[in-house]
Amino acid sequence: MRIAVCIKQVPDSTRVKVDPQTGTLIRAGVPSILNPYDHYALEQALKLKKHHAGAELIVLSMGPPQAVSIMRLALALGADKGILLSDRAFAGSDTWATSYALALGLRKIGHIDLVLCGQMAIDGDTAQTGPAIAQQLRIPQITFCDSVSVSGRKLTAKQHIDGGHQVVEAALPVLCTMTMPHDYQPAYPAFLKIMQAQDKPFETWTAQDIGADTSCLGLEGSPTRVDRIFAPPAREKGEVFEGGAAELAQKLLEILRQENVLKP
Amino acid sequence: MPNLDAVSRELMLDSLREYAKRRLPFDYLRENDEKNRFPEEILREMYDIDVMGIHLLLIPKEYGGLGGSTFDIYRVCEALARIDLGVATSVFATFLGTDPLKVGGTEEQKKKWMSRIANEKLLVAYAATEADAGSDLVNLRTRAEHITKNGKLVGYKINGNKQWISNGGVADILTVLALAPGGPSWFIVEKTAEGFSANKHEDKHGIRLSNTAGLSFDDVIVPADQLIGEAEGQGLSQAQAVFGYTRLMVAAFGLGAGWEALETAIRYSQQRIQAGGQLSEKQGYTHKLLVPHAVRLTAARAYIEEVANKLDGGDHGLQTEGAIGKYYATEAGNKAAEDSIQALGGYGYTRDFSPEKIKRDVKITCIYEGTNEIMEMTICRGRWQEHLKSRGGYYAAIASEMDALHASSPDVGADACACGLRALGRVLEECRVQKLTRHQHVMFSLGSLIAEAEVAAAMCRVAASKNPSPTHRLDRDALKAIARVSARESAFNLASKGLKLVTGSAPAGVGALAEGMELPQIEAKQHGNTADMDLIAAKLNEYFKAK
Repeated sequence: MRIAVCIKQVPDSTRVKVDPQTGTLIRAGVPSILNPYDHYALEQALKLKKHHAGAELIVLSMGPPQAVSIMRLALALGADKGILLSDRAFAGSDTWATSYALALGLRKIGHIDLVLCGQMAIDGDTAQTGPAIAQQLRIPQITFCDSVSVSGRKLTAKQHIDGGHQVVEAALPVLCTMTMPHDYQPAYPAFLKIMQAQDKPFETWTAQDIGADTSCLGLEGSPTRVDRIFAPPAREKGEVFEGGAAELAQKLLEILRQENVLKP
Repeated sequence: MPNLDAVSRELMLDSLREYAKRRLPFDYLRENDEKNRFPEEILREMYDIDVMGIHLLLIPKEYGGLGGSTFDIYRVCEALARIDLGVATSVFATFLGTDPLKVGGTEEQKKKWMSRIANEKLLVAYAATEADAGSDLVNLRTRAEHITKNGKLVGYKINGNKQWISNGGVADILTVLALAPGGPSWFIVEKTAEGFSANKHEDKHGIRLSNTAGLSFDDVIVPADQLIGEAEGQGLSQAQAVFGYTRLMVAAFGLGAGWEALETAIRYSQQRIQAGGQLSEKQGYTHKLLVPHAVRLTAARAYIEEVANKLDGGDHGLQTEGAIGKYYATEAGNKAAEDSIQALGGYGYTRDFSPEKIKRDVKITCIYEGTNEIMEMTICRGRWQEHLKSRGGYYAAIASEMDALHASSPDVGADACACGLRALGRVLEECRVQKLTRHQHVMFSLGSLIAEAEVAAAMCRVAASKNPSPTHRLDRDALKAIARVSARESAFNLASKGLKLVTGSAPAGVGALAEGMELPQIEAKQHGNTADMDLIAAKLNEYFKAK
């Protein structure tokens, strides 16, 4: 089995602040990390690899040369091969242009049974790139998966839905986007594994290498335009009430009336 | 080719920081600090090659390690110090304990012991210090007598006591310095050896998570093949061979602890509102409690990295450089921690906030691995020789280098730095002419001035570099301002303190010295200093935002 995981390097958004005057992100002193959803997707892929003898795991990313650090992290955690799409032509790509490039990258890798992506990247929160890759590759997609397993040519995914889970099956090849548990703690590699990752295969591919039409890349190939970035106004603190069901229902009713949501 | 590239090094630091975030939160450290408890389980975990394997950095690749460079080890030591200096010290003790073996061990010994240390999660201790033998090992009392069988040397019998040994009470393996018939020699002793015992864990001012104990050797028998290098009398040279490198590790401790304290203060200052504004906006606060420390710590890093790169480039020894790095960075770290308590006011004085603990912890870096007074002496002795050998040209040459740097990069303070270096050269020459180094006070003070001059020069080089090391975490404008402030300060100190030192010690007048000091120039170069400090304060707020 051949698994590809698409990963992205993002600023640690828990530490990014928005400049209130200019509306731009203050990136000074903010470290770059592997997008946590992708980290989780990678760990799920590593579990599959462990259960399927001979499985091969390839990580693919698009980004500047510095993104080599997340590739190395993935290799140290157990991926077999890393491919970084890096070219000035990719700069400024939106989710559609990015998925175009990643899909071409995946095609160039050749036969792939399963593509895993994080549900979304924490710097954009769009959750579009994964599904768009599936669309470009013309393969089925299952989004918001907690976990996946493979038996023969069949994939079973536990998909997160409102209020619960549903179990979905699909024939390979398929693309799944992975969501992560709220208490997820990403795994970090031991020092020896980090050193060994230096010797694992790693390639950088340009737009030309993947046979991309450059008019489909970068700003030119991106239908999305960012109009404005701003910090949402801070939400006021909520009030917490405690008590029995009947008591709380009464309280709720009272508040709804007070706020003129219900007629008295 | 280094074994680890920069990407790998950063990933290792990430792994270490993530581990600390989960396993060593402040409350845990605080509790162990209060209980004076050595967290053995943490150390074993850090030495577990499947969890972290931090100790592998110091073990050469051929024995299953990573063969980390000096630069790698400096970075890891700094990161450890930011977490907890007690834990850092325990790891350091293993590094140190392995060194005599690395430097002097036979191939067979290295293979056997290094492989065991790599794979068996062993804690190691370095046992040199005794009641009457600290920096001066001449009075070493621990003895190793020959045990012979049929006229053949089969082992040694060790008797004596050691004190203040890091990991002493918990180490599985100890490298012990003892006086053999052929002179001071290192022996490998296992803790299970009969007659070996460790005393109680000392009740220390700081680094309370690090086990420190006295050791007793009562007829401890060690096989002959556990004499490191299997030749007697090599002990002192084996110990000295690694001073440049080990002292740089302690320098990194001062740097890490200092930055941790300083960053805490910077972030706090943005949140604390007094008299209608954030403390971070008030010069009286920032220019006293934050900026000078950012300047000194940044300059210390510039110097440490310069020396680390030299050691990794194949330079040997560098004892004077190691001493300068250790002296300057640990003094800077200690002062930064002290002022971070002040910066947090009442909060800083409580145990609920980290500066109080960092301050207690970091003090040890001014004491162990050679006190900072021993460093002053070592620095002065080393450079005094250079001054004599070069007939006073040593600092003139560095001053010329700074002049050239100023010509190509006029905004890094290299001109002020050059004035300071020339002043230093003149002070040294006057000391020679008037034979002033017979005063110990003069020697030690010169050591301090030399450190200041050389560190300032290293900072100018970094600021002038097109690609300054990203480890500084500040942009080039900030680094240039830091270099200017540091160069002005050093020039001023070298001239004024140097003059005071010579005048205060010389039997005859030193009028000519004052004239040759470029005092008006040094004064003129102070222009713009407050504006630079304003810039640095603003950059600190930008780069170290409150969470």
